[in-house]
Amino acid sequence: MKKKLMLMALSLAFVAGATVATAQTKVTLGTEGAYPPFNWIDENGDLQGFDVDVGNAICAAASLDCTWVVQDWDGIIPGLLAKKYDAIVASMSITEERKEKVDFTNKYYNTPAMFVRKKGSGIEINAASLSGKAVGVQRATIHENFLRDNYGEVVTIKAYATQDEANLDFLAGRVDLLLADSVALMESLVDTDDGKDSEFVGPEFTDPRWFGDGVGIAVRKGARDLRDTLNAGIAKIRADGTYNKINAKYFDFDVYGN
Amino acid sequence: MLDLKGYGWMLWQGLELTVLVGLCAMAVALAVGMIGAWGKLSRPGVGRGLAGAYTTVVRGVPELLLILLVYYGVPTLIQDVAASAGYDLIIDLNPFVAGVITIGVIYGGFTTEVLRGAYLAVPHGQIEAARAIGMDRTLTFRCVVLPQMWRFALPGLGNVWMVLIKATALISVIQLEELMRNADVAARATRLPFTFFFVASLLYLAITIVSMVIQQRAEAWANRGVRRA
Repeated sequence: MKKKLMLMALSLAFVAGATVATAQTKVTLGTEGAYPPFNWIDENGDLQGFDVDVGNAICAAASLDCTWVVQDWDGIIPGLLAKKYDAIVASMSITEERKEKVDFTNKYYNTPAMFVRKKGSGIEINAASLSGKAVGVQRATIHENFLRDNYGEVVTIKAYATQDEANLDFLAGRVDLLLADSVALMESLVDTDDGKDSEFVGPEFTDPRWFGDGVGIAVRKGARDLRDTLNAGIAKIRADGTYNKINAKYFDFDVYGN
Repeated sequence: MLDLKGYGWMLWQGLELTVLVGLCAMAVALAVGMIGAWGKLSRPGVGRGLAGAYTTVVRGVPELLLILLVYYGVPTLIQDVAASAGYDLIIDLNPFVAGVITIGVIYGGFTTEVLRGAYLAVPHGQIEAARAIGMDRTLTFRCVVLPQMWRFALPGLGNVWMVLIKATALISVIQLEELMRNADVAARATRLPFTFFFVASLLYLAITIVSMVIQQRAEAWANRGVRRA
């Protein structure tokens, strides 16, 4: 008798779970929680970061009831496929390889590549001002390709094995400029004590030909309703200024790109 | 003194979960190991075949793979089968239970071999003598074999425990916030990887040292009545 009751309760629980999932007003979002400034866990154990704020704003804009689940990066796509959560908002770049397993929304950011100069150097990002200047860049990166294709004729390119080495030579005055991902430069140089005399200069480069499709929200294949809802949410917060407020909270440049 | 930037409680909570998962998994491993050893020592047949297959598979496949299979693979498979039959099923496996069972079953394979070896180390003449004076099989096992098995099994079991407690670091892939995962979270949020991984390693070392002390006491207890050479 007891066993039968247990079985009934169990099957009821499954049915209840199934109806909630199809109603699609409740959505569980998965993130990593270890990738500042996009997502991290603060000293009170609360989720913080750009991904988290954008995710919450999209949910509010699309009237979804969202809850967060924190998941180690290694299991983040398997967890989505096993329905532990319905969408991944964890700074996941849209790549062809991942598109075979999951569907992506439109991008919600694409951190631009930017130049960094010494304060007071007066260098501008145009052919005349750049002529004869030395630019440090990490070797075999999309940034080196971009630099060669666009400014290869006018500047001297100095390629380094790591970004840290390029930064050190920049601080030592051996190169006049650096070109790299804006957030990487902000974290490793511009926002640090060593780099207090450096600043971003010039336009934000996001051309997909060199820099890819940016970062989107991943959903399970075939979850068209959810993807469309999230896309509408992204469009709405872009249009009503919510996105720009969140952008300004974390970065002093535009991370959406063109 | 090390500055933990307010993340100390997170490491402590991770430590608690690591120890809890470890103890529960060790209990499962002992239970599974007992059954496995019994199977391997029984006469040739289905039970022995199953136990042999179990220890071969479980000891031969990486732990991480088994954890991912149990927590993600099996539910995804069942859900896909249900979906193709037209049901929208969600199997919500509790990560703690999944982690404990997976690690327990994996280390049950090693425990099986430890216990089998311990059983074989008890001189067979004693079992024959017990049967000769009229003790039945249960009584023989309880009063003659088991007390001596501990003596031979404890060093091996202690070894299994030490490896098991470190294997718990793998369960962070299934959303369990154990010590290693929390150290990683704190390290990345504060950009102080050395500090947090150093503290985490000290905490693992503390678990190991406490375990060694307990094991020495347990071995002294199991060896009572045995003359030292």
